[in-house]
Amino acid sequence: MTDTAFRETTAEPVTKSVPLAHLSLELGHLYMEDFEAGPKRLGEHFAEVRVWADAVRASAARRSKRPRISTCFLIDDYFTRFSTPAELIPMILKEAEKAGLVIDYLARESSCAVADRIELAESVMHRLVESPPPGSYGSRPPVSQTGWLANGQRTPSTSRSALGAVKGWEPPQETAARNHSVFMDVELWSEKDGKRLWSCPFLAAVWQLARLGLLRHLGEPVLVPKDWEGEDFPHDWDRLPPLTRLSDTKAAFSAYRTCTLMPNRFLAVEDAVRLILDQTDVDAGALQQVAERSAAERMPVPAAVAQRATYVFYEEPGDSSEAEET
Amino acid sequence: MLIFAASDKGGTGRSVTSANLAYHRALAGDDVCYLDFDFGSPTAAAVFDVADAREETEDRGLHAYLIGEVSEPARIDVWADTEHQVLRFPPPGCGRLVLMPGDVSGGEFATSDDNLRRCVDLLMTLYYEFDLVVVDLSAGRSYAVDMVLEATAQPEMRDVTARWLVFHRWTRQHVAAAASLVFGRRGIVAGGVDRGHDEAALRNAIRFVRAAVPDPESSLWSQVSPTQSAWMRKTDGDLKQLASTHGIGYSQVLGSVPLEPVLQWREQLITDEDVLDSQIANEATWQALSQLAVRLTDDKYWEEA
Amino acid sequence: MTAAPGQPARSVLACGEVRTCLLPSVQALDARAAAQLLRLRNDEHVRVSERPSMYALSPEILTGVDCRLPASNGTKVRGVGTVAARAVLTEGRLLQSTAYFSLPATGPDIRRPWGQYLVRPGLVEPFGKLPQQATAEGVLRGAGRGELDLGMISEGLLAQLRRHALLDRRVPFKSSPTRLRWVARRIPAGERASLANFTVAEGGLRTMELRLPEDVPASAAAGLCEDLALHDWLLTTVQHMLDNSRIGAIDGPSVVEALHPVVVHLLHLWMPRAHVDPALAHLWDVLEVKPGFSRQWENLSRRIRDRLALQAVAMPQQALSTS
Repeated sequence: MTDTAFRETTAEPVTKSVPLAHLSLELGHLYMEDFEAGPKRLGEHFAEVRVWADAVRASAARRSKRPRISTCFLIDDYFTRFSTPAELIPMILKEAEKAGLVIDYLARESSCAVADRIELAESVMHRLVESPPPGSYGSRPPVSQTGWLANGQRTPSTSRSALGAVKGWEPPQETAARNHSVFMDVELWSEKDGKRLWSCPFLAAVWQLARLGLLRHLGEPVLVPKDWEGEDFPHDWDRLPPLTRLSDTKAAFSAYRTCTLMPNRFLAVEDAVRLILDQTDVDAGALQQVAERSAAERMPVPAAVAQRATYVFYEEPGDSSEAEET
Repeated sequence: MLIFAASDKGGTGRSVTSANLAYHRALAGDDVCYLDFDFGSPTAAAVFDVADAREETEDRGLHAYLIGEVSEPARIDVWADTEHQVLRFPPPGCGRLVLMPGDVSGGEFATSDDNLRRCVDLLMTLYYEFDLVVVDLSAGRSYAVDMVLEATAQPEMRDVTARWLVFHRWTRQHVAAAASLVFGRRGIVAGGVDRGHDEAALRNAIRFVRAAVPDPESSLWSQVSPTQSAWMRKTDGDLKQLASTHGIGYSQVLGSVPLEPVLQWREQLITDEDVLDSQIANEATWQALSQLAVRLTDDKYWEEA
Repeated sequence: MTAAPGQPARSVLACGEVRTCLLPSVQALDARAAAQLLRLRNDEHVRVSERPSMYALSPEILTGVDCRLPASNGTKVRGVGTVAARAVLTEGRLLQSTAYFSLPATGPDIRRPWGQYLVRPGLVEPFGKLPQQATAEGVLRGAGRGELDLGMISEGLLAQLRRHALLDRRVPFKSSPTRLRWVARRIPAGERASLANFTVAEGGLRTMELRLPEDVPASAAAGLCEDLALHDWLLTTVQHMLDNSRIGAIDGPSVVEALHPVVVHLLHLWMPRAHVDPALAHLWDVLEVKPGFSRQWENLSRRIRDRLALQAVAMPQQALSTS
């Protein structure tokens, strides 16, 4: 209804677009145990990451002569709070610099749950559309009631019909199985004292959607990066913006594709992330903007969102737990 | 308004009487829906004479709906689908009369969160649509009874007027059994309170209906000997005393239905034709049903005793 | 062969079912409350329009399906994809939910990864070739056991909304919901949309067949069907109230009491085409000619006003005679 003089803005909402780089490259993900292992350990991480980051850049150069790549780094302040930005961030930047890496954007993990008072994780949860096992004719599986998401049909609970015998164990079934099933069931959140704790894979899925430029709130972009104006970083994580721009990069935070470099212990988590992304109905407007612009730059994105994320899982440098025992 | 029809045992004429009440209310202009929750032995289709329509609905009845296999239970428009000669021509100005049949193959089942949810949705939907919803429950403390107790305890049904009719025959054993069904340790009241019902409110929403009551003064017994007649009066008096001791005395009774061969033998709707023209049914039965039907919604009969 | 992933598959058929009912609330909702009720997703707008009548449209939510498509002739064709569902509230009083999907002429013989279906919301792909005629007839007839059940999806959404904490769950009067099932066959872009038939069946069921140009989105057809279903519900409901004995036979203040809700809650709702896509608004004309929707509505409204006017005239006399 555009050919009329009369308009009502509330009747025609629009999805704002966000700037997009070609690739969002994640250089690491810091948890408390990594921090406790000290700066040396972090330096070894970055040294390893540097090698793969170069490889990723070389790969991106095959798609574009002048690839726009932004780098990012995530710090956990959701599951455990440790240290302070003032102490931690300079240390990270210093170790990265030693390895010849530049961190463009720094994010706090808690901002995948709530950023600028917008409940991102909650919104993404409402967008889960479960992959229907064969025989699904319209009864809606209630993800939001169970808090678990699977890639197929679970083993039936040992239900007894009024007169029927107890059935033996039945295997679960992966919906997209090829000959044999690889069944996976992912916990999206847990509840404790009436408070919801989002799971690591679920927040990581939100993180991926943010990096892919597919999150909006009422049509507006979310997790918009802010420059840190102050001299020193704050002494409280809550005073650090959800997403901070640390360099003078021109490349946008969000991108057509993502690549994540991380130790191979995160493989299971990221497999779960793919499972979640594969069952998330993302904002149609945002999806279309990314598809059109990537196609216009002759680097069309894969249709399925989960296919836009790639990973390098590297061996953890010098397994300290073994070393310490000797 | 929702009316739940329960009974202590089978053979009380619960289904046929509650169906007749639904019929009377529809004649009076109410839109009425009758639900056959007697999952073990659904009989409503026979009472309303809608056997063919019943066939067509196959396995899309209430049972299939409650376990989530169909999106809504089948509906049978009694006026349109009945094979009964008289029912087919309802008087102008009467309300709708809709039957939701059970399933031929459906048995009892345990209440799960999902079928409870569906039960609440259904009752609310019908409450928004019909003036009167009559739910015929299987005899005794059945799953059907548990489910509607649970459903009506849900916060969204708090403001819905729901009343219970407990049917029992007029014998010593039935009087005791009916009292126990309602007030016993595992009775409706205790079960309701467990599920969050207010005890006083629930007690007050339950009334008894004495079924197949022989009237000692009736002309039926005019030929009996004086001894027999005296015995009948005495027994009737004793039963009244017994009912009163069990807490189901006069103030708890909504009405009585006389012993009526048509109800006992044929389980059918009694039309004015049956009373006036063919005279196979008693005028007194018609009157009793008519009176009961009015009292269902007459608050005077549901005030605190 | 089928379209490559990511390319919009051309649909040949769009199908849907609309359910229409009175909102269980004593007060009609204002625009703010309407938006709150229909906020099926935290992060998406509810479209609210207050001119020429208050109309709120929810974001769409998806339901995944993998089952047999409805077929009138028993053909068993499996379909996989998503069905879109949305809800509409008109004048804060009438609540509707629609479930709908589109079908391409052919689809792959294997199931794709789920993420590929999700990026084409509201599309269900057949395995192999779609039996168009049988599917269209099957949808109108209603789903058999195990077949894609639009009624279940639209009813599910409606039930969810009626449970909303915002509502007091009290209806100002009793009324029956209606269902309208529709199918739209695709015709080349640029041709004029047309209405093939609109059928009033028993038990509150209506069916409708359209021809829809390729450049008109299925959501526009859903919008038209919602508009027709809403007005058909008004006719059906008011007619039933007038037919009821307690209005037909009685006189006195109880007539006012019985007709009061119609006047307060329904008479102002008649506004055909108010929120219909301009490309489809002309389809109303067919129904205005025969059977003449608006003509019937005028007639019903006049009857109600006349009854009330007569009552108003009679009242003083009664008052005199009884004093």
